[in-house]
Amino acid sequence: MVYSTELLKGTLKTIVLKLLADNKKMYGYEITQRVKELTQDKIQITEGALYPTLHSLEADGLVTTETEYIGKRVRKYYSLSVAGKTRAKEKVSELASFVQTMTLLLDLKPKAI
Amino acid sequence: MTPLTDEQIDHIVADLYAHGIRLEGLRDNLMDHICILVEEKLAAGGDFEGSYATVIPTFYRRELYELEEEALFLESLRGPHVVLSRGWFFVLAFALVLGPWLTYVGQWWFFQRPMGDIRSSFEVIGGAGVFDVFPLLIVCVLFFTPNRFDPLIPWGSKILLGLKPLIRVLPMAAA
Repeated sequence: MVYSTELLKGTLKTIVLKLLADNKKMYGYEITQRVKELTQDKIQITEGALYPTLHSLEADGLVTTETEYIGKRVRKYYSLSVAGKTRAKEKVSELASFVQTMTLLLDLKPKAI
Repeated sequence: MTPLTDEQIDHIVADLYAHGIRLEGLRDNLMDHICILVEEKLAAGGDFEGSYATVIPTFYRRELYELEEEALFLESLRGPHVVLSRGWFFVLAFALVLGPWLTYVGQWWFFQRPMGDIRSSFEVIGGAGVFDVFPLLIVCVLFFTPNRFDPLIPWGSKILLGLKPLIRVLPMAAA
């Protein structure tokens, strides 16, 4: 089951920030593949959502970029800035709290591990 | 995996530009991503034109330019914005534009001072306000308002502002 775009909309920044916090630097395609791999294809980030988000994170100063030239191709690597590291922690904690609240609200019992 | 040739990369870059992708960073990202996907298809036995034509529509719903619009929109959400209801917009426009002018006329009407009277400083300030504050209002609107929001301001008022519709109007605004 692939989750709907509506469900993912508010979490994309958190996902990207968390991935960058866990990996030193990543480029766009690598981010989409990593998400697919970690979620066993349940979450597929579209390019149409990812790149505007990365652009916005860069404009906000939360990520820094590094450019690598592969012949004529340009590959932009993203890594977290100091402010980005703080924001990543905040966003992850906010989302965790939200998930907990939703679990209560929808009366869902966490599955026993 | 065979890498794309310089000509093929140039073709992709030119096509992205032709589809309205003007932001260099975004174009670089898209180009790299498209190259990877096309190379995967080439490795599976496809040809460049066919592979490119299959890959590119997966990036958008209606137009590729949507990505640039979205990037610009998200960027415009940073920082403070001018958020005015329609009613408050007119109050502000009245206060900033007509207020000083009415002050000037009122002073002249009530006190009947001769031109050049030192006491006319209020009038001078009022008059200058018309020409100083109005452009300042436009500049503030230009810089702090995301232009994607469709204003509910009538056409005449847009002309009054002298520029594109740039005031964001809250949906719950009570005029």
